[in-house]
Amino acid sequence: MNTNNAIEIRGLVKNYPSFTLGPLDLTVPRGAIYGLIGPNGAGKTTAIDLIFGMGRNDAGEIRVLGLDHRRDEVAVKRRAAYVSPDLNFQVWGKAGKAIRFVRGFYPDWDDAYCATLMQAFQLSDADKIATLSFGAKTKLSLLLALSRRPQVLILDEPTTGLDAVSKQQVFGELLKAVEDGERTVLISSHGLSDIERFADHIGMIKNGKLLLEGRTDEIVDRFRFVEFFGGNGTDFQSGDGLFILKRTENRWHALLDQKSGAHDWLQSKGAKEISLTRLTLEDLFVALVKERGSK
Amino acid sequence: MTPARKNLLIGPISAAADGALYQQIVDRLKREISEGRLKPGAALPSFRQLAEDLLVSVITVKRAYEELERGGIIFRRQGLGTFVAEHGHDRSREAKLAAAKNLLREGFREAAEAGLKPSELAELAHEILKGKK
Repeated sequence: MNTNNAIEIRGLVKNYPSFTLGPLDLTVPRGAIYGLIGPNGAGKTTAIDLIFGMGRNDAGEIRVLGLDHRRDEVAVKRRAAYVSPDLNFQVWGKAGKAIRFVRGFYPDWDDAYCATLMQAFQLSDADKIATLSFGAKTKLSLLLALSRRPQVLILDEPTTGLDAVSKQQVFGELLKAVEDGERTVLISSHGLSDIERFADHIGMIKNGKLLLEGRTDEIVDRFRFVEFFGGNGTDFQSGDGLFILKRTENRWHALLDQKSGAHDWLQSKGAKEISLTRLTLEDLFVALVKERGSK
Repeated sequence: MTPARKNLLIGPISAAADGALYQQIVDRLKREISEGRLKPGAALPSFRQLAEDLLVSVITVKRAYEELERGGIIFRRQGLGTFVAEHGHDRSREAKLAAAKNLLREGFREAAEAGLKPSELAELAHEILKGKK
């Protein structure tokens, strides 16, 4: 285990009757906000659940801060917090009661930070959880996780259904949480423009396998949309670093990995008027998911 | 915490503006430095703090700082922080001039391709300058 990594997943496999996760490798650097992205059903939640010991993996290992996720389960759970849209704190009635209940379990609970977050998220002890808006409930579960001062914070779809202001507040708090360079956030989300803006690293998974992983800026920078015109009858196929997206007669649209030799290859095959266009993470995501999905 | 944090307000950055976010940070900081609002020796916020202020990823700010450092506009002292370099002012001005020249060259090339004569081009430049005022 490299101590610069907060989470290392190696060869993780989980078999279900209709779906297999893995073998999956993920590396989440310490101090980073890491965005785990993938289409619905790619295995993001399965992977996150396995980190927290919900379900038993069939193969591979998961290390959180160097600790084995099963053998050192208690130590992992003390240092890592989890927020999911499924968490429900309604049974405690009021926000204050939920907070008092949860804080008892965690020796590192930070009351001052909790109070700051209450203000930032516009929550109060007297709020009745049942009548809170969806967004406010999400903020409450985030507050309960952050106030523990976890070394690793794992968030499953934390911004679904949040308005733009709330989303910004949440990401603002996450950036604060990683400010010391020691704490790490793993976030799974479909909000790709948010991930592109806030996440230092991303991992893209599809059908239970990792498609891409690395620094967000480097990954986005590496790819371009490419348009070119083929000679009569020339057939271009997806291959090494080139993903054909569309074709109308001799006019082609594709995704191009600039790290590959695809550009030179296109020229050598007689492609004319090759023009490259920058893309966003969302563009890249759609192109990759569609292209690979068509096979 | 560094005292620089509260003082540093750089121009807004947006995904809708030209250039990648890190490039916008580079440009805004160069502007602060070339216009003298950030003086040589002034401390810059840590990249994590600036990331929090600008609501962008840490890596985005880090990349911007690295680029400014390579250009000799800011420098880093291990354990102390990041500061505006002695010649940061001139260098950001030089960098801006070089960037302006490149853009002009590109603009002139496009204009030439569109069939504009040098006299027409000069006229166009005047119009643009006037429009700006």
